[in-house]
Amino acid sequence: MPLTLGLSFLLAIMESVYVMTGKTVYKDMVRFWGKLFGINFALGVATGITMEFQFGTNWAYYSHYVGDIFGTPLAIEGLMAFFLESTFIGLFFFGWDRLSKVQHLVVTWLVALGSNLSALWILIANGWMQNPVGTVFNPETMRMEMTSFSELLFNPVAQVKFVHTVSAGYVTGAVFVLAISAWYLLKGRDLSFARRSFAIAAAFGLASTLSVITLGDESGYELGDVQKVKLAAIEAMWETEPAPAAFTVFGFPNDETMTTEREFQIPYLLGLIATRSVDTPVLGLKELMAQNETRIRRGMDTYAALEQWRAGVRDDATRAKLLETRNDLGYALLLKKYTPRVVDASEAQIKQAARDTIPRVAPLFWGFRLMVAFGMWMLLLFALSFYYCARRQAGRKRWLLWAAVFSLPLPWLSSELGWFVAEYGRQPWTVSGMLPTHLSASTLSVGQVTFSMSGFVLLYSALLIVELFLMIKYARLGPSSLGTGRYHFENGSSLAPAAPHTAATLL
Amino acid sequence: MAEFFAFLLSYETLRVIWWLFIGILLIGFAITDGFDLGVGTLLPFLGRNDEERRVIINVVGPTWEGNQVWFILGGGAVFAAWPPVYATAFSGFFIALILTLFAMILRPVGFDYRSKLPDPRWRNFWDWGLFVGGAVPALVFGVAFGNLLRGVPFHFDADLRAYYTGGFFGLLNPFGLLAGVVSLSMLVMHGAVYLQLRTEGEIQQRARQMVALAVKVFVGAFALAGLWLLIGVDGYRLDSFAGVAAPSNPLAKTVVRDGGAWLAQYGQHPWMLLAPLAGFGGAALVWLFSQRQQPGRGFIASSLVLAGVILTAGFSLFPFIMPSSSDPNSSLMVWDATSSHLTLKWMFGVTVVFLPIVLAYTTWVFSKLRGTVTVAQVRAADKVMY
Amino acid sequence: MWYFTWILGVLLACSFGIINALWLEHCGCLDDDPAND
Ligand code: HDD
Ligand code: HEM
Ligand code: HEM
Repeated sequence: MPLTLGLSFLLAIMESVYVMTGKTVYKDMVRFWGKLFGINFALGVATGITMEFQFGTNWAYYSHYVGDIFGTPLAIEGLMAFFLESTFIGLFFFGWDRLSKVQHLVVTWLVALGSNLSALWILIANGWMQNPVGTVFNPETMRMEMTSFSELLFNPVAQVKFVHTVSAGYVTGAVFVLAISAWYLLKGRDLSFARRSFAIAAAFGLASTLSVITLGDESGYELGDVQKVKLAAIEAMWETEPAPAAFTVFGFPNDETMTTEREFQIPYLLGLIATRSVDTPVLGLKELMAQNETRIRRGMDTYAALEQWRAGVRDDATRAKLLETRNDLGYALLLKKYTPRVVDASEAQIKQAARDTIPRVAPLFWGFRLMVAFGMWMLLLFALSFYYCARRQAGRKRWLLWAAVFSLPLPWLSSELGWFVAEYGRQPWTVSGMLPTHLSASTLSVGQVTFSMSGFVLLYSALLIVELFLMIKYARLGPSSLGTGRYHFENGSSLAPAAPHTAATLL
Repeated sequence: MAEFFAFLLSYETLRVIWWLFIGILLIGFAITDGFDLGVGTLLPFLGRNDEERRVIINVVGPTWEGNQVWFILGGGAVFAAWPPVYATAFSGFFIALILTLFAMILRPVGFDYRSKLPDPRWRNFWDWGLFVGGAVPALVFGVAFGNLLRGVPFHFDADLRAYYTGGFFGLLNPFGLLAGVVSLSMLVMHGAVYLQLRTEGEIQQRARQMVALAVKVFVGAFALAGLWLLIGVDGYRLDSFAGVAAPSNPLAKTVVRDGGAWLAQYGQHPWMLLAPLAGFGGAALVWLFSQRQQPGRGFIASSLVLAGVILTAGFSLFPFIMPSSSDPNSSLMVWDATSSHLTLKWMFGVTVVFLPIVLAYTTWVFSKLRGTVTVAQVRAADKVMY
Repeated sequence: MWYFTWILGVLLACSFGIINALWLEHCGCLDDDPAND
């Protein structure tokens, strides 16, 4: 999916240049990269369909509990983004002869806009799960309900998440085009096609990498504000340190002893990143765990009040109790994992639940550092590519071209790591502080889950293999796959009309 | 004016409006993606060789993605407007929905990947994939509606966590299957008229014959289902409830099972009979126009059929959305299974603004892509078309 | 307002790509093989 976000803008850029200069090679670029876009898009839609319904099938209690607020961005996404993107994508592929140049260009930009708007709404939904604003528990309906749409929309976490994640998508698109063009340059094929693609990808990619890094830093700042546990876990901060806290570059976090071994620190840096100040302390995990324990105890009182309310005791005292501490109700739900009767949980169970609020530290610590390292590497790659492009030497720097080719998987890896940090760092919650993951699931039988999981895994793996196969095939074939008669496998010998057979012998 | 808005934006009116909106989305889905499903089902039968099949695929190729969004949006809208229904129905009909999703996943890849390799085995494989991706959803949607009319075995606990107690095979009861036949035959009819409109020569002739067959099956199945509903299916009647503007809590009412309840509506509000009438009358018109080689009009008549059938199911159930057969008091209905008032208001505003925009550009795109698809075109644009 | 930043940023990044292509086009150093038009 991330590829679509960036590649659609790259197509729009190429087509804009086509309309401005009238050179056919740019049209061929749009059509060729568009073919690869299409192959990827098909799989994106195939996974998207299941995503839209899996909340109902597999996360039924979640859907009931927060659907009042979470369903809204999902529905708006369909209405505002999917329609736009999917309606115009057909015209993008099949409308070349039916539209004027400018009309077709507008269609391409609309497809790009549509895919980015879809990321906007889904990330508003996901951002709300990280930082559930604008919502409150309603005991009458036993669920969370929306109190403010604008808070949902302007949720600071959603905003930085959106900009960081779409920029990551742009980087993905840029690396994709850069790497494949570099490969053509290395093979000495379709040079004028490849150079132009390379130049556009280098410029767009440089801007995108810069923004992914700045905005990633901004994500860290937001975490310091609203998801203190995640931040502390990413930084392996066991103890609260006097402000400004030091940044741990390297070390081995140990979950058993709650310490980090052999750490290497830069003084003051973390305090600056996370609080943008020199005097606000960053809380450590042990202190956060103690705070959460207090909230669990308060939540148990709320839960007791809720049970009374349900039993029909609706006097002012019960209501006041319920309303006053309802933000801690979620913490009481953590206990449901250990006892069905939340109100008389034992001391050990409370301690265990408090321990559960801290995710495992080492995977987060390393996941984050790898993402950042890849980000820095890609920045260097784009900076050099852009520089040598401007000096008109890019085609001759073979080491640079090889570096570009081998960087192809990095943006996908970084995005996976990013999602891992964001989602795993949120555990044990599905909705931070409100609904634990173990409660969110549907009441399904093991058989049903096994059936669906194995089905999806098989189906998607098969489709992924098919996708990769087609991708590689068409990438190798290059612009010759368009059948225009202008490219590498078509001129030379008598291959022009027989391109499909060329394709077959290639693999 | 202010009074009108107060009325329009009141909780009870919005609840009815959202019932209507979801009905409109379903009808929109049936009219647009419905013909894609029908065409997919017919693909291996009406296309006798690779080129003919490519013609059929390219009839829907450029527009099917946009059409499918009606389905996706249907899911999203149910989530936003009726969260308890989204949660209960989709986890209850679990296996059926998973099978539908498996089938639907084959469509995007089927369309896009099929003609990218010349190997006939590869192409044949995806043709059958597109068949499954068309026929299975068309059948399952009907089966699901049939089961809604019979009531579904589920109940809630005090936390409002839903428990579904029927198995997958429980859904495949005779009435459910009959409803499946209704929906499959009507979508095949719809797809066949569309093919008749957008192709020529032999394929068009075959499509015309298919329309005649599908109309017969549909009319028979629809009539039988009505009769069955009259004599063989228990309806549900609302006994007491917290009120049309009460907070959405499905456990605050009592419901009784009642033999004639589903058809009692039509006695109280005879205008509702227009819906089943549109189903039967529309089908007759489809047949007529198709035989006279006026597939454009036939397509409009066929759309009327789809709207009539969906509204028939909706009217019969109203105010229920998903009655429970094992614990009728847990049934979900328009008055107690919606989102909060604020959510409904926001979603109403967004829909009123964006749905017309969507309809406008969809119409523009269809008008740009109109015209017949022929074997000669497919030959000429071998690398470009699906 | 990060949404606003996004709008500006995307426009900037896209223009950056377009301008880079136009500029290299201008000095005519992109073509030296037979596969051009
Ligand atoms: C109820 C649980 C739940 C829900 C509703 C979601 N997630 Fe999630 N997600 C998880 C619970 C989870 C998880 C259990 O925490 C995972 C699985 C493995 C992991 O590390 O985290 C995860 C992983 C995970 C990954 C893969 C990360 C990786 O392991 O590489 C992605 C891309 C997302 N999530 C994205 C989303 C988005 C965009 C969502 C909706 C807006 C979303 N998830 C809803
Ligand atoms: C809750 C999780 C998600 C759901 C329910 C979901 C749903 C969907 C659906 C139904 C589609 C197909 C739409 C069509 O027919 O065009 C889709 C496509 C898409 N989604 Fe998602 N999605 C989710 C997560 C994401 C995320 C996290 C992103 C990006 C950051 C994203 C970006 C996109 C894009 C760009 C497309 C366009 C098609 C493609 O990927 O090739 N989605 N999604
Ligand atoms: C120096 C570079 C980077 C920094 C400082 C950084 C920082 C962060 C942080 C703190 C998060 C967690 C946000 C949360 O939990 O809510 C995150 C998430 C993420 N990152 Fe990065 N990141 C960087 C580079 C990259 C790169 C290069 C990519 C991909 C190309 C990437 C893709 C992602 C994705 C997809 C997410 C998950 C979505 C989100 O939560 O925003 N990041 N990043």
